[in-house]
Formats: sequence, structure tokens, C-alpha cells
Amino acid sequence: MFLLLRQLQRLRRQIALPPEERRGSLALRHVDTGSCNACEHELAATAGPHYDLQRHGLNIVASPRHADVLLVTGPVTRRMAGPLRTAFDAMPEPRLVAALGDCALGCGVLGSRAELAGPLEEILPVALRIPGCPPSPQAIADALLELLALHHGWTR
Amino acid sequence: MSGHATTSLHHGPPGAARRIDVEPARWRDAAREALDAGLRFSGLFGIEGAGGVMAAALFGRSGEERLLVCDPGPATIVPSLLGIVPAADWDEREAHDLYGISFSGHEPLRPLVHHSDDLDSWTVEVGGEDTHQVAVGPIHAGIIEPGHFRFHVVGERILHLDLRLFYSHRGLERAAEGREPADALRHAQRACGACAVANSVAFAHAWESAGGLWPDAELARARTTLLELERLYNHLGDISAVCAGVGFAPGTAAFAALKERALRLNRSLAGHRFLFDSVAVGASRLQVDESRARRAREELRELADESARAWRELRFAGSLQERLAGVGVVSREQALRHGAVGPAARACGVARDARTLSPRLAYGDFSPARPPSPTGDVAARVDMRAVELEQTLGLLDGLLGRAIEPARCEPLDSAAHGGDVGVGRIESPRGESVCVVSAHDGRVARMHLRSASYANWPLVAQAARGELLPEFPLINKSFELCYACCDR
Ligand code: SF4
Repeated sequence: MFLLLRQLQRLRRQIALPPEERRGSLALRHVDTGSCNACEHELAATAGPHYDLQRHGLNIVASPRHADVLLVTGPVTRRMAGPLRTAFDAMPEPRLVAALGDCALGCGVLGSRAELAGPLEEILPVALRIPGCPPSPQAIADALLELLALHHGWTR
Repeated sequence: MSGHATTSLHHGPPGAARRIDVEPARWRDAAREALDAGLRFSGLFGIEGAGGVMAAALFGRSGEERLLVCDPGPATIVPSLLGIVPAADWDEREAHDLYGISFSGHEPLRPLVHHSDDLDSWTVEVGGEDTHQVAVGPIHAGIIEPGHFRFHVVGERILHLDLRLFYSHRGLERAAEGREPADALRHAQRACGACAVANSVAFAHAWESAGGLWPDAELARARTTLLELERLYNHLGDISAVCAGVGFAPGTAAFAALKERALRLNRSLAGHRFLFDSVAVGASRLQVDESRARRAREELRELADESARAWRELRFAGSLQERLAGVGVVSREQALRHGAVGPAARACGVARDARTLSPRLAYGDFSPARPPSPTGDVAARVDMRAVELEQTLGLLDGLLGRAIEPARCEPLDSAAHGGDVGVGRIESPRGESVCVVSAHDGRVARMHLRSASYANWPLVAQAARGELLPEFPLINKSFELCYACCDR
């Protein structure tokens, strides 16, 4: 355990993340609407030791009730359209929707028309688009920091 | 071309399926005969042909694939195989939902892919003093795929768990029909990000088997390398996830960092962190020159050292180990009965691994890793990942011993190659995934993908029985199954 912590400390020094220079925070809620799961892996990586988005005040929260931003992945399957709307409706205002990954952006979606309710744009108002299949953790981090900057009126 | 000399059985090259048409009255007998012949049940699904809907059941192993096909007649009823093959439960329910086939003797035939608002139609009735239900999902608290769990509990004790998945059902199999193989392969690949290589190689093998193609040694090595790279980051991530499941943050972070390194290595070798588009039909998409292979090996050796060191720390973290032992037990009998696959099956002593019978890949005389103790609990499933991690790193060291050159498939000279149905069986990080493809005029007529997660999901529900509700996330993570390639 002690060794493990020391190893992590060393890793942290090696990665040398830039210091967090601004204040503010955004609470993020993620909804997977039928993604292939690679977008989820990359989103989860942004919270890992190499990117560590929490130190900028960007947190994934457990409930849409606590969220400012709804991060949506996947092409919106017929079965997820309802739960997606429910999650959005549960959010307090002001709120905004971010489309994470090409599927959520409606690009190059694979599947049968009858099983898909998307694109997301036609279901919810999309304010932020993060393209990629999947977008890299760095791309996700950059886009979210941009959003945080806009949200708090400072420029990066 | 050394591989198939040893495997050219009278059934044709491995992967080519022999189709046997069976009357409904003979359906069960034919299944029993297949089992008696030592073949394993590998999926049941509907096919839509010119003559209407038919039921198909695959029994096989590498070397022989038997596809039983049954025309259910105008009433679309075939006898259920459940009594002989308990593992066919989900398959029959799916074939009913998607193809309208009924299975006599399978009662009640609950919906699986279709979601009904009528709770009684898909949940098991659980009664008794103080029993109640806890509903969770489809949206969960973390970054997790969608699925709905209905726990029947007394207090916090789980009596029974009904699963409702298929929120990620995109109709990928139907969408692949009528497409060129390269296009259909993308459907198999995008079914699941974390099993992208396994699913695409399974598809490629199936297609190549149907067409009488055999990969040259270089192609076999390229694909095997990709499959092991996929296993590497998955197993690292799985250990991290189990640590997260018990709130052991140092372990979560250490293995997440190792996984990130593995993903970066994937990018440097194949141009994509999840190895997307690195598999093609009949050809290789992975080329690695001498110096890149050498650098990859160095990185892998460092990864091996660091993961071994981190794992040792976890082994001696008493508070972690205490939480893993004896939780979510699956017995060997249960695993065999329900057709469990992968690390979850090996963790309870079922030494089954598709890599042992993969003449189209470069596994040589592979033998499955053994768990330190086959107790079938969360601890054993995590241990299994660690043991296999070591094995994978060893395999990769050998596979990347020299440059990977351009490669392709060669036509088999064998006059009697199977026909137009092929089967691919690949050991994905979660176990054997099976892809069946039938070809027509150079296009895909039907593609069916039965992923390891599909095979193992019912086991998760079994493992949860009798446990406390707060243990479920940990039990679930110890299997770490995909929703995406189960749902398709
Ligand atoms: S955008 Fe790509 S990575 Fe993301 S869910 Fe879609 S297919 Fe998967």
C-alpha cells in the first residue's frame, strides 16, 4: 500500500499536469444511449491519474439532479430515448447538453433505422459537440475546460 | 501454411460449418446427438429466408461446426432445447422477440430484447414476508453502460435478480445483412469498443471459413498480437474496476494508469487506442517495423514489471482481500450448466479457453492459465485476471520479437470446403465470442454474434443470489461484462 502510493506520487511528478489556474466548477452527468462503450472508457480516463479533471472542478455526479451538464454518448437507441429525456427533465436550470463522440453527433451511426430514435440533436438541444470515435481523453478534457471557461466568463 | 495440414478433418477446415436440416420432431434429438458427439452449444438464433423464418442452433468446437437448421412450419413453433441445454435460455427468448419463433416447453417464454411495461411479463414472482423489489437503472450513478436490474430482496439480502438489458440494442445484425464483408465487419467491430478486435477477428474468421480462405502465418501473428493487446488493456482496467468496487483508491489509480499506458501503446502500434480498424477481411491492417516492435517490447516489459509490483501490493492489502473472498460465488457445476466462458469460468475450475483450439491464430501450444485457487468468487475472478495478464505479456513479448510484415489470406486447395456458412470463435478478454456468418453472392446474408458477455450475463444474476445488495457492484465488476456487444 505504501509502495503503491509512492509509485503514484512518482507517476504524478512524471506526468507533470499543468497547474489549475482558474476557479469554478461544473457538475457533469453522463448518459450512455447505446454507445459501443469506447466513449465511456475515454470519459472515465479523464478522471484517471493522467488527466485528472477533478482538479479543475469538473466532477461526474451521481444524479442528474446535481448536474449542470448532461454528457451524452451513443446514437440514442429507441429504448434509451425515454430515460434520456427523464434525465434531462430532472436537471435544474440552467443546464446544457454535450454530445460526446461521433455517434452522439449523428455521424457514421451503424444500426437499423427501426431501433434508433436519434440523432440526439432532434431530441435535446445540444450546446457542446466533442467529435471523435472515440474522442481522446485530451480532446474531452479540452472541450470541457473550454466550457468551464465560457461558463465562468474567463478566457483560457 | 503449416497449420491446416494437422487440422484438415473430414469435416472441412476449421470454421466451415456443416448445415444439417432437421424436422421439428427431430430437433431435440439432433441437439442431444451433437452434445453426445462432444460438441458444445454455441448459440441459437432465427434466420429469415425466402421460405420464411427458421431456427438455427450451433454446436461445435474448432475442427467441427454443426449448424442445425429447423423449419418450424406455418405455426413457427419448435420444441425448446432448454431441458437439454440450459444455456439456450436467452437465445430462445431473443429468437422469439426478434424472429417470432415460439419454443414449446419454454414456459413462461419471457421477453428479453423487447421491453414490456408489464412487470409480470419479464420478472419472476418472488413472494413471502417482507420481500420487496429494488429497481436500478437503466441510468447508473457512474460512467456505466445502460441496463436495468430488478432485485428481489428481504432487507438487504438478494433473493433473486431479474436483468433487463438490450437498452443498447442497435439492430446491428440486421443492419449488416446484404452488405459487403468489409462493411459488415465494421458492424461486428462497433458492436463493442472493448471487444472490437475479438469481434472483428471472429467475423473475419467466419467469413474466411465460409469462403475457403486461410490466413498466412504473418496474418495469424498480426491478429494474435491485436487480440492480446486488447486483452492487456481490458484486464488492467478490470483490476482497476474491482478496486473501485470496494473503494480501494490506490489500486484503482495504479491500474488505471497502467491501462492508460497500454492504450497509448495500442495507438503507437495500430494507430488507435482501442485498435479500431486494425482488422480486415482476408488481409492484414497491422504493420510494425523492426524498431517499433523493439520499442513496444521494451514498453511491455516495463508494464510487466510495474503491474507485477502493483499486483503484489494488492495481494498484501488485507482490507482489500478481505472484501473479495467468498463473495459472489459461482460453482463449477453452475458454470458448466450455464455454459460460462472466459476468466469467470476458469476461476471456478473450468479450464476452457478458445485459444487452445485456434489453428488460424498464432497461439502454438497454448494452455489456459490456472487460477491460484478455483473458488469461483470475486477474489478468484480477480486473481484470474492477474495470472492471465502475465501470460498475455509473455505472449506479446514473443509475438513482437520481429517486425510484422504485410500479410493476407490464401485460398484453400481443399475441394470440400464447407459451403457458405462459417464460424469464428475467439477468446475475447471476457471469454469465447462466436460469430456465425452465412454468405450469399459475396455479401452477408446473416451475421450472428454471440459474445462472451451474452453467455455470462445469466451467471451474474446467479452469483448475486443470497448476497447483500451493496455487494452487487463489486460482483458485477468482477465479471466486468459488456452491455454493448451483448445488446448489439
Ligand atoms: S463514437 Fe465511436 S467510440 Fe463512441 S460510441 Fe460511437 S462507435 Fe463507439
